[in-house]
Amino acid sequence: MAYGPSKHRSRSQNETREPNLIPIMNLFIVIIPMLMTIMVAVHLAMIEITLPTEAAGGGGGDDPEEQLEEDLPKVITLALLPDRFEIMVEGIEDIITIPQLSAGTYDYFTLDESIARLKRNNENQGTIDLLPDPNVKFDTLLRSIDICKSNNFPNIKYLTSSTKYYKAK
Amino acid sequence: MNALSVKVNRAGGGKFQSRKRGNKTKDLNITSLIDILTILLVFMIKNISMDSAQKNAPEGMLLPTTITTNELIESGKAVYLKIYPDKILYGVESMEVGSLQDFLNKPEIRNSLLKLLLMEARSITSVGSKPCLLIQADKELPCRYITEFIKFSAQASFANIYFSSIHTDNKDEVLGL
Repeated sequence: MAYGPSKHRSRSQNETREPNLIPIMNLFIVIIPMLMTIMVAVHLAMIEITLPTEAAGGGGGDDPEEQLEEDLPKVITLALLPDRFEIMVEGIEDIITIPQLSAGTYDYFTLDESIARLKRNNENQGTIDLLPDPNVKFDTLLRSIDICKSNNFPNIKYLTSSTKYYKAK
Repeated sequence: MNALSVKVNRAGGGKFQSRKRGNKTKDLNITSLIDILTILLVFMIKNISMDSAQKNAPEGMLLPTTITTNELIESGKAVYLKIYPDKILYGVESMEVGSLQDFLNKPEIRNSLLKLLLMEARSITSVGSKPCLLIQADKELPCRYITEFIKFSAQASFANIYFSSIHTDNKDEVLGL
């Protein structure tokens, strides 16, 4: 003979039992500080530079080689000077000079425009030679490298020579 | 008065018994707190980076900001060189080498650093990797020191040189706008 459900049982089934959240809270209290300690707030970037190599020996005077030299990309040199930027393109007399906006404030915007224009005119060139003055700040150096790289000049050749290109004429 | 009131339990031999209502402890509702913590947890798991290179931001150094970033060359292994305005730290362990003036003027400091770099380069190449130098320098540092370090690292067979910076997606920040 089957018995009907007791009154007590039906009453306890109707009540909604709250889940025990204490273990979850304990877990969260451990996990969240742990994640906060290992979380990266600042993302670091790496900027690659290349070192100048010994110049390859020049070719002879054969016509095909001369024609090949004409197709070679022009060397672009960016000089970081204490009061201005100077850009020299191989074979062009005029030096692009970008003076500071005010004392200690470089005109990065004009530099960006000039580098972008140079890229349009020299699409096959992917390298810029960088010649920083010893007194120029590291911040200026890295911003200039960044501007060159962002304008599709991925190779930055850091010239460690102290010889100034514009005095070599 | 009500909270402290007791009733006499006649059946229990006249002992006092506190009222049942006073024994009930009200449960704290922590559901909303759990909601916030769950959102926080998901956000952190999403943003977390396990890259060890990302975590090596030098303390007390102002790094320049750049938008471009390069990856380390294939099979490259980086050696850290932290250049502060007043000191030079070498390696992940941040071993102090000396000051910048010491580096420029004292040959023994240069020789010891060169030995360290050469040893590191040899140990990296012996396992088939390529030695890379990661220079972390303060943004106010003059380039003469950077140039010296680049020349110096070239002597120690470090052909791949990287500068460390803080990455941003905002080009205006780099252009100073």
